[in-house]
Amino acid sequence: MNDDSYIYILTALLPLAACMVVVQVNPYHALVIRGILGAIAALVYSVFGAADVALTEALMGTMLAITLYAVAVRSSLVMRLGVLEEEKVESDGDVLKVELTVESPRDFNSLMKDFRRIFNKYYLRIEVVPFTTPQALHRALMEKEIHASCVPVLDSDAAGEAETKHYQTVTRIQRLYDIMQPEISSINTSLDYKFASGSGEDSQ
Amino acid sequence: MNLLLIAMIAAMLIPMYQALKDDDIWQKMLALGSISSKAGIMTLFISVLRDDWMIGAVGAIILTVGNAGLMLLAHIIKRMDDL
Amino acid sequence: MIDVLSYLFFGVGIFFWFWGTSHLVGKRSVLFKLHSLSVADTLGSILIVIGLLIKIPSRWPLLTLAIISLAIWNTMLGYVLAHCSSDEAENQKEFPTETL
Repeated sequence: MNDDSYIYILTALLPLAACMVVVQVNPYHALVIRGILGAIAALVYSVFGAADVALTEALMGTMLAITLYAVAVRSSLVMRLGVLEEEKVESDGDVLKVELTVESPRDFNSLMKDFRRIFNKYYLRIEVVPFTTPQALHRALMEKEIHASCVPVLDSDAAGEAETKHYQTVTRIQRLYDIMQPEISSINTSLDYKFASGSGEDSQ
Repeated sequence: MNLLLIAMIAAMLIPMYQALKDDDIWQKMLALGSISSKAGIMTLFISVLRDDWMIGAVGAIILTVGNAGLMLLAHIIKRMDDL
Repeated sequence: MIDVLSYLFFGVGIFFWFWGTSHLVGKRSVLFKLHSLSVADTLGSILIVIGLLIKIPSRWPLLTLAIISLAIWNTMLGYVLAHCSSDEAENQKEFPTETL
């Protein structure tokens, strides 16, 4: 065993870690593995005598880049879902308390659980944005403030199942429609695709 | 000394395998913390082996700062599930 | 004599590394793994650095800094990770009613 054998083994770790980064599917997992790659890269660089490169890799490449990427991924992988909520004003002495509540929260929560289950496969988060009037909800959808809207509908046909509410979900993004379409039979909503004016540059 | 270093590399392979296999993000974070502190110690070890003061300083800085970055990342990932 | 002592420290430190990391493989909870990892890993790392310190005492400022930062940061990282991961596990268990 000669004097340099450990250098070869150490260098072999670098492509191994790089392959581990490449095969990750979940973006957050890929970021964590990128941290491992950064640590090993810093080790290899310093073994080869490039102390400055190793320091830059450890501080910039690992610490700063991963933190910034985590913030970026977290804030971009999100679907904003607009819902209708009732404004309830309670007067508590002198203080007016404004509370937003949704109608029949049990149905709504189960619907949200279904949505989360569907979109978790694509690592999308769901952010619920409350609105008080249907007009405001519609305008927000048209002006691209939200990606989809979800409102309860009153259908007189289904008199037998008066217990559960039905919801109507409208999205303006083709991709979201495609994701939800195969699963639509198992969840308590109907789905509509609406072309927002000038939505050619939508990226999501 | 060579054999010791190879043993250290073998010890570093265990958390790498674990990070590849496990699907839970916190297990991956544990593996990352383990690997980064091991890499720092190995850098220090090599610096003493070669009598190189510069590499040793890099190892000490990686040890000191790397853990702080890990804590930052842990908090961001925790916030991911809120909201 | 000094050499034998430092090699002893290295050997024990690497043994601790293997011992702590071997708990990482397997289907245990995150907190169990965190405990074994933070105890055995930090102890092994400190032992290795002490071995280096015995071997080359002229580098004491750097190595002492390494020991101190290891002890402090690894303990704190253990606490932070435990706090973050256990909080998430709680959320998953009981599905809190979303504040809408």
